Amino acid sequence: MVTVRLFGMTKMLAGNQGTLSLVLPEGGRVKDLVAVIDAAYPKIGELLQKKKVLVSINQDIAHEDLAVRDGDEIALLPPFAGGNR
Amino acid sequence: MSLEQVTTAGRPVTDDEAMLVRVQREDFSIDEELRRVRARSKRIGGIAIFLGTARDRSKGKDVDGITFEHYEGMAQKKLREIRERALKDFGVIELLILHRYGEIGIGDNIVLIIAGAEHRAEAFQACKWAIDELKQITPIWKLEHTPDGEVWVEEHP
Repeated sequence: MVTVRLFGMTKMLAGNQGTLSLVLPEGGRVKDLVAVIDAAYPKIGELLQKKKVLVSINQDIAHEDLAVRDGDEIALLPPFAGGNR
Repeated sequence: MSLEQVTTAGRPVTDDEAMLVRVQREDFSIDEELRRVRARSKRIGGIAIFLGTARDRSKGKDVDGITFEHYEGMAQKKLREIRERALKDFGVIELLILHRYGEIGIGDNIVLIIAGAEHRAEAFQACKWAIDELKQITPIWKLEHTPDGEVWVEEHP
């Protein structure tokens, strides 16, 4: 079981939940996490596929092949406030 | 936070450094923050300041107020990276970055950058770079309150 923190529009798209608790397959990677989120929250999944929303692990942006480990601090990051200059 | 506040070099952040990079709910005093930067070195001869405030209009729509949300820990980490890179790459003596979160009224302070250098050129350059970089890499989100409802900025990419 992993906990994923949500912010801004991703929190809204998940019905204003601040976190999601998800079950990942053994040895799961970021792309597996994206697939699990896509199945449960397709609108967030679409933004993840388009890279409009990024995944961070331990406060750094994570590549899709990065392994997700127990105890990792995981978050979904929508576009930042200043990104539309 | 589960992750300790450390510099990019991996050592713990000192109290002074923690005061120079802050994400806080309450308003700030520009005079007080200016004093904090000036106290860092007598070699400072040029100071550039950027202050971001809340506009009442965005993309042609009226805005009544703004709420900022941030990722506690990661936001501070990214701002520390910006300060450290400004000191290293732009030749400034000190750089202070503050960003507020929570509800912000129209006209109120949002973000403050103060760059102190020996001369104005480095101060201006570092100050501009720091605010541009902040907007690119810092996990802070803006919810605009409009007469038609609330909109997360970039909600409809």
